[in-house]
Amino acid sequence: MVLQQESNRQLIQQRLNLFRFPVLFIFFILAARLWQLQIIQGAEYAVKAEHNRIRTIELFAPRGTISDRFNTPLVENRPSFDVLLYREAMKDKAATIRFLVEKLSMKSEDIEARLRRSKGAGLYRPILIKEDAGMEDISVVEAHRRDHPEIQLGPEPRRLYRYDKLAAHLIGYVSEISEQELAARTFPGGTSRSLVGRTGVERTYNQLLVGKDGERQVLVDSVGREVGPVSETESVIGGEVQLTLDLDLQSVAEKALEGKVGAIVAMDPRNGEILVMASAPSFDPNAFSTRISGDDWNELINDPDRPMQNRAIQNSYSPGSIFKLIMSDAGLEEGLLDDNPAVFCKGSAEYYGRIFHCHDKKGHGTVHLEQAIAKSCNIFFYELGRRLGISKIAKHAHDLGLGERTGIDLPGEKAGVMPSPEWKEQVHHTKWYAGETISVSIGQGAVSVTPLQILRAVSAIATGGLLTTPHVLLRAEEIPEGELKWPVSHIPLGEEHARRIREGMWESVNNWGTGHNAAIPGHDICGKTGTVQVIGNEKKQQAREDIEDHSWFAGFSSRDNPEIAVVVFIEHGGMGGIAAAPIAREVFSAYFEKHKPKMITSSSPAPDFVTGKGSVASSPHLND
Amino acid sequence: MIKLDQRFILDFDWLWFLAILALSGAGVVAIWSTTDGTSLNSYFGKQIIYVCCGLLVFLTVLYFNYHFFSDFITIIYLAGLAVLGLVLLIGRTTHGNKSWIDVGIFSFQPSELVKIVVIIALAKYYSGLDGEYLGIRELLVGAAIAFVPALMVLSEHDLGTAITFFPIWAVLSCLAGIRRKHLIILIAIAIAAAPIAWFLMRGYRQGRIETVFNPQNDARRLGYQTIQSEIAIGSGKFLGKGFKQGSQGHLGFLPARHTDFVFAVLSEERGFLGSIAVLGLFLFLCLRLFRTARDAKDKLGSMIVVGVLSVLIFHIVINIGMVEGLLPIIGIPLPFVSAGGSSLISYFASMSLCMGIRMRRYVN
Repeated sequence: MVLQQESNRQLIQQRLNLFRFPVLFIFFILAARLWQLQIIQGAEYAVKAEHNRIRTIELFAPRGTISDRFNTPLVENRPSFDVLLYREAMKDKAATIRFLVEKLSMKSEDIEARLRRSKGAGLYRPILIKEDAGMEDISVVEAHRRDHPEIQLGPEPRRLYRYDKLAAHLIGYVSEISEQELAARTFPGGTSRSLVGRTGVERTYNQLLVGKDGERQVLVDSVGREVGPVSETESVIGGEVQLTLDLDLQSVAEKALEGKVGAIVAMDPRNGEILVMASAPSFDPNAFSTRISGDDWNELINDPDRPMQNRAIQNSYSPGSIFKLIMSDAGLEEGLLDDNPAVFCKGSAEYYGRIFHCHDKKGHGTVHLEQAIAKSCNIFFYELGRRLGISKIAKHAHDLGLGERTGIDLPGEKAGVMPSPEWKEQVHHTKWYAGETISVSIGQGAVSVTPLQILRAVSAIATGGLLTTPHVLLRAEEIPEGELKWPVSHIPLGEEHARRIREGMWESVNNWGTGHNAAIPGHDICGKTGTVQVIGNEKKQQAREDIEDHSWFAGFSSRDNPEIAVVVFIEHGGMGGIAAAPIAREVFSAYFEKHKPKMITSSSPAPDFVTGKGSVASSPHLND
Repeated sequence: MIKLDQRFILDFDWLWFLAILALSGAGVVAIWSTTDGTSLNSYFGKQIIYVCCGLLVFLTVLYFNYHFFSDFITIIYLAGLAVLGLVLLIGRTTHGNKSWIDVGIFSFQPSELVKIVVIIALAKYYSGLDGEYLGIRELLVGAAIAFVPALMVLSEHDLGTAITFFPIWAVLSCLAGIRRKHLIILIAIAIAAAPIAWFLMRGYRQGRIETVFNPQNDARRLGYQTIQSEIAIGSGKFLGKGFKQGSQGHLGFLPARHTDFVFAVLSEERGFLGSIAVLGLFLFLCLRLFRTARDAKDKLGSMIVVGVLSVLIFHIVINIGMVEGLLPIIGIPLPFVSAGGSSLISYFASMSLCMGIRMRRYVN
């Protein structure tokens, strides 16, 4: 056995030796071929490689255009050229830099810095030397094509925001993709130097808006001069996007916001189409289409008024008296207001050992729900809040979409806060105090909402319970017709209950309530004002005068056939009825003017608390 | 834990190991030079990860006695076939080859590992035979072991990998003892089948073969790749153009420059000095494998090493031959150097298997 194995091994070794020579021979052939190619014919091939110069010029695709709901273009593209440097064609670095300094009036440190930054890139990748070259630069580069073949123009379409600051937050802006984003594939299909959306629609619908880049290959000679074309793939422009925005209304809203800090949002309450979304102060997205300078960027970022922030969705505020609409809904749904109870307001009331005031120190007297909304009576809602308890308030607020994102198709939306004992336990690890419920009842305390959330909640009241998904995309070339669907839910808000809240809001505007400054004769506007104490009343006396209250107005029209809902929010504007209501009026008025609907003032019966369901005395009192 | 014999550890072949590292390093540098980016997601970053995985696999496989693999080879072989079948069903298609399988975050080409399985299976089968020569029955069983998986790989449209099963069978059969008359019959069949194969071949493959004989004929299309590859190598001259300076590679004249044509990139940027060094390292590996096959403790060990050797040489010759314009263009990677994890890790595994055979030559 051992012997056989041994002979077997010898046999294998013999056969193995047969392979040895062929293997060595093959290696010899491969090495000899290298010798032939690299040593004998090396010089010859080096010349061939020198002549083998194909230059690839990237043809960047323009992004898709963006228009408003009536097809008015908002964002387009303009042709522009960048000055590029092809290092492989650069024979004398000093001469090139001298040319750039003298003829293109650049700083040599700037050029050196750009060269340094691109050190890692392949030698045959062009370096961006100057963005968005002017006419003069273009003609200089063209004129020196022969003696400076290393300097070339690269076409790059740039974003043109036709109305500058208008709707800047909603539309957003674009800038060059970063190394990290390329590596992480944040933007599918993005290549180096692609422009990508940063905020707003440009960000959300980046994939719909990007086109397909093309490239042109040209043959160049050994010093980098173009000899002839090789091939060209044209770029394909990105898909068109049409927004729900109404440019005319938007302009009116932005004009009304001039010099103020705040937001205006308007939408069609029936389907959630955003008609207006203005936030002030604003910024010019055109500034980003060429590389924005460090100073300009710092100015935008460090501005205490934060112009980059879209106040309609990216910040949340106390709702103040606007919250009384949510309270009304909660009271009605819980059956506490079924037999139209009244509360006697004497200007203040005591709860849990603390005095809570009404904004009218004299008191409103006996008030029912509709009056309480119209006059914005705090006492009525304190009492309603006490009866409801925080859990039921929170439940109905959530039903109306508070404390959660609306799901609008824009980035960076805030959820706001709708407090509850569980929330307080989780966030602050403390117990809920009954007194807090009283504050929450008039929209103070920890409640915080975005203007868009209020717009959606008010729209739900206007439509009798339709909770839509607000959205800004109306149509997109790349989405087939009918495939664009926005979720809508029906909340448990009975038509009769909604009608009573609307009645109160109608009174507020049309019967000398707090919202009367929004009234337009001949049109049925319903609304509710809000005034948010920024600091406590006592402190306010000593504080600087400019710390005014935040002002709110939320409304819709018409009462029976709602087609537009508007929310106005002004930071430190003062009284909601004085600062916000007139602005809402302007928006409504622009809407009516444009659409000229034949709206007749409804000859609705006078609200029932005037002729009333019996006398005050026979009404069950809440504050007994 | 099995206690490792001290002698076994002392016998670790450092030169062999360094040669493998040097080749992998040359690949990493060439890939770094010719592709963009240095992040973990770039070709460069991924290659470094693959090399690290390869080293882990190397140490793991080294720990096992090759008899351990051969004892379970039936099960392993059948499992290999099952995986290839699975690839046919759910595999991912890349560049027309349906040979990739997605395993979580990365994808893998199981056919690369199946090659090693076939080597062990064939070595096990042949080494168990007693006669001096193979009978016709043994020859056919051997062919079945090698060509069933080869045909499965071929139906994944991966010709390059499929044909590497042929040298395994051919070389191991010769080693096990093929009768002269059988050899003559086989060669006769091959000659007869060549025209049939020619007509069955897809047009572009025919073109690639014609191109070798006359590259200038079709300068803008098929011969183009061969010519550009020759220009790349030739223009590197003695010292090369330097890191990231290869115009042929960077201007896109070389196809698949980080994978199949990486040797052209290396020759262009590192010159004759660099390319001959890489060739020398390969030769060193082959000689080491020859010696290992000769000194192996048993027939099984010798056969496994020769199987690995045949695949290695086949890959080297086909790839470098193709890049140098001596052979038709067939998409197979250069061992250790080309970008890609499956091939690299399989080569680390097979080298480890062979070094293990060498280190166990005195040990029981």
